[in-house]
Amino acid sequence: MNCEVCNLKELEVEHFEIREVLRCILHTIVFHRALGLVRPKDVDSELFEITYVQTGDAELEKKIEEKIDQFIGWVEKHPNKKSQICLSFYEVKNKQATWFSNKIERLYWEQWHVNLNVAQHPKTHSSKSHHSKVVVDPGENVFEDRSVRHAALETSLREVLFQIIKFVNEKKDHIPSIPNLEGVAFPYEITIPSSSDSSFGMDMFKRMLQTGHPSMLS
Amino acid sequence: MASSSPRKNNNQSESAKTEQITTEFFSKSLHIILESRSPCVSSRNFSGEQTFSSPSSSSSSSSSVRPRDKWFNLALRECPAALENLDLWRQRNLEPMVVDVVLVKRPVDLDTVGYSPRRGAVENLALQERFPSSWNSRDEDFMMETKSEKIIERWIVQYETRNKSKEVKNVSKRGGSNTSHSLYRKSVILLRSLYLTVRILPAYKLYRDLNSSAQIHTFSLAHRVSSFVEPFTQREEADMHQFAFTPVETSCGRLCLTVLYRPTLSDVNLEPLTPISPRFIPDYVGSPTTHPLKRFPSLPRTGLESPSSGPFARRHSWSYDAFRNSPPLLSPSPSPAYSDSRAISSKLNSNQPQLLCSPHHPPENPYTRKSAGFDEYWPSPMLSPSPSPPMHSTDLSKALLRSGSAPVSIPTAKLGTNPASNLRTSHVPPLSPSPRQAKAKSASQTDNAKAPMKFGDNPAGITTKKISAFGKEECGNSTGTKLSSHISPRISSTRSLGRFSFQDDFDDPEFCPFAVDDIDTTDPCVRLDSFDGKGHSIEPLDPGGILQVRKSQDAAVGSLVRMLKTAQPLCQDFSNSKVLQVSKPQVLSKNIQEPAENVNSEAGIVQNPASSFGITSSGIVLVKTASEALQELQSYMDMKENLLKQGSEYQTLANVYHAADTVENSGI
Repeated sequence: MNCEVCNLKELEVEHFEIREVLRCILHTIVFHRALGLVRPKDVDSELFEITYVQTGDAELEKKIEEKIDQFIGWVEKHPNKKSQICLSFYEVKNKQATWFSNKIERLYWEQWHVNLNVAQHPKTHSSKSHHSKVVVDPGENVFEDRSVRHAALETSLREVLFQIIKFVNEKKDHIPSIPNLEGVAFPYEITIPSSSDSSFGMDMFKRMLQTGHPSMLS
Repeated sequence: MASSSPRKNNNQSESAKTEQITTEFFSKSLHIILESRSPCVSSRNFSGEQTFSSPSSSSSSSSSVRPRDKWFNLALRECPAALENLDLWRQRNLEPMVVDVVLVKRPVDLDTVGYSPRRGAVENLALQERFPSSWNSRDEDFMMETKSEKIIERWIVQYETRNKSKEVKNVSKRGGSNTSHSLYRKSVILLRSLYLTVRILPAYKLYRDLNSSAQIHTFSLAHRVSSFVEPFTQREEADMHQFAFTPVETSCGRLCLTVLYRPTLSDVNLEPLTPISPRFIPDYVGSPTTHPLKRFPSLPRTGLESPSSGPFARRHSWSYDAFRNSPPLLSPSPSPAYSDSRAISSKLNSNQPQLLCSPHHPPENPYTRKSAGFDEYWPSPMLSPSPSPPMHSTDLSKALLRSGSAPVSIPTAKLGTNPASNLRTSHVPPLSPSPRQAKAKSASQTDNAKAPMKFGDNPAGITTKKISAFGKEECGNSTGTKLSSHISPRISSTRSLGRFSFQDDFDDPEFCPFAVDDIDTTDPCVRLDSFDGKGHSIEPLDPGGILQVRKSQDAAVGSLVRMLKTAQPLCQDFSNSKVLQVSKPQVLSKNIQEPAENVNSEAGIVQNPASSFGITSSGIVLVKTASEALQELQSYMDMKENLLKQGSEYQTLANVYHAADTVENSGI
């Protein structure tokens, strides 16, 4: 089964915006993959003039919140890093139990990469991005910058939502059939960057090295 | 329904399914669109209802689920407008469906006629819905005459049939039997996208405003459902953006969904009238980061200008700015914090002091002090010095960072916690006569002048703090409660200046910073009346007092003298008033008949190397003032002695006379 990957446009966010941005995006994606009976729940974003839709599934909502918390925790430990959250949908295939492998195999059929560039220090950020400005009144300038930037983020967030909508409508053939959905949505997982590295690939590579090292020594 | 010609059996059932799905797709689309464009029932309420019906269960058999909801696994709220249109639509056999969302601006005359605009809006909508705005509503024509209408969205749901050959290809490509399943699944997704898109587009905000707020609107949303496209003018078309959902292929055609929308509705000029959603709250309350920086600009103005400088005006208003602007008499009452301190004055409530100070926390204060110097305080006789300086540590940058949202939140807490004290404040103003303010002003100035001297070796920050503390004292005194002066130093120490060992000097168990002595706090008036008695009991540990002669007539004379003294130096010489103000609190408790002694004791304290900042600071003031006070007292003592002398002379005379009389009598 082919796995469709959607790389969402990178968003420049400030720390306090992470949660709302992720809520918007993740819930929007999941809503499109919740093909069971759904009573949509409209949610007005707390930060943006955006209304997004939740599936109304408490479990799902809880899980997303947890993941967002984790992610924010990670961001706090790794400031000023580009970071990515991956939302993957998979199918569960029962596999013949072989020696050590699990019986259950996950077949990923879709991955969403949410890219965030977290500006940890808004002040420095704004001053960096506006070299040309003569900062006579830092307070007001910063405020203006922030509001401008916030508005820009809102626009970008909308664009991302549209990107999701487009992707979801363009790529439909890879979606597995929905005979017996246990939950509202397809099985999914949300992965955040590991504690040591911002890039998944690098992390995996490192892990392989680390695990491989001892055995090589012995 | 039988648009497709019969084929093989399985194909027939398949095409029937497809057709049904398509039909339902139209219905659902219309329902979704109108649900969030036709301002009848708020979808929010609807979603609220849903929470208890366990939406998570995927089974479509739950009793609360209507058959209509099962379609596409999307449960929607009831939408009368949609239903009416749907019934009509079903007879139309998959003609294209064009849903125009119309912004209706009601003319001004409508309002002047006497309808409340909002009501008018509702009525219009009701009309629209009752006579489905759909294809041939005469009412609509009527409305068009009286209102300006503008199409802000056009949704087009279309089923495009295809040549049979292509259709067969498609079917074969996908493996035939699965077609209706696939169609259904894709339709589900498309409809979810539609559901979301409807909410992302700008018109949704209008809908929400209409639905959610009780505000007056000069506009309303209407809709028209028709089977043909009423062409836009070129200009209109240029204004519209188009978003086309990827069509869903069916066995014999494809389902197309397109929306034309106005990306911005600003030209509609609705902004002033539309309620503003609470989006700015986060910034306001405080992502902590925004505040400190924002506050900067207002700093220079804090001294003399009006407090209303942008977003932070509110904070200022209740802190010290209010005082600054308010006329002398009003000064005590404006800020709750202030009143608190006064009300509590009888006992030293470290808590309230803290509260009092906390609002002033804003970093600007330290900044102001440093940059603007002391001049700023002058205009504001009582309060300007007092606000927050004590709160802020010498580390300016730290203070700035820290201050984030604190100023905003704290005040409310404080207000909430001390309603009683607030009430009390109302009584306070009358108690503070203008002379006191003069006193306060003078005192603050004195402080400013003296503190630097005293703390010259200390960092500027410390000095400012000290000053501020004094300022508070002045404030307290100005209110007329004498003990308050004592409070202020304490307050400052508990809050941020603990290291200055204010408290150590005043190491009273009674003065535990965290103990609230609200019980003892009495109405200022009461306090004043019972001042003498209470004063002793409250502050037994006070080192000594300069003017403790209260209980006797001499006390009255002394107070009179003091008032006179304090009244005179408005600008230049504050030392006198200062002496009285500062020393009093400390002295109060001991009833000392000999003022001179008290003065000496004070001086002794000052000179004591062990004494900490707090005491010394006050002590310094005392030292300076001490000499003058001494003089004053001396004069007073002279007066007293004179009086006594006279009295005694009179007495002796009387005695003499009496003796003479008796002698005479006896002689008789």
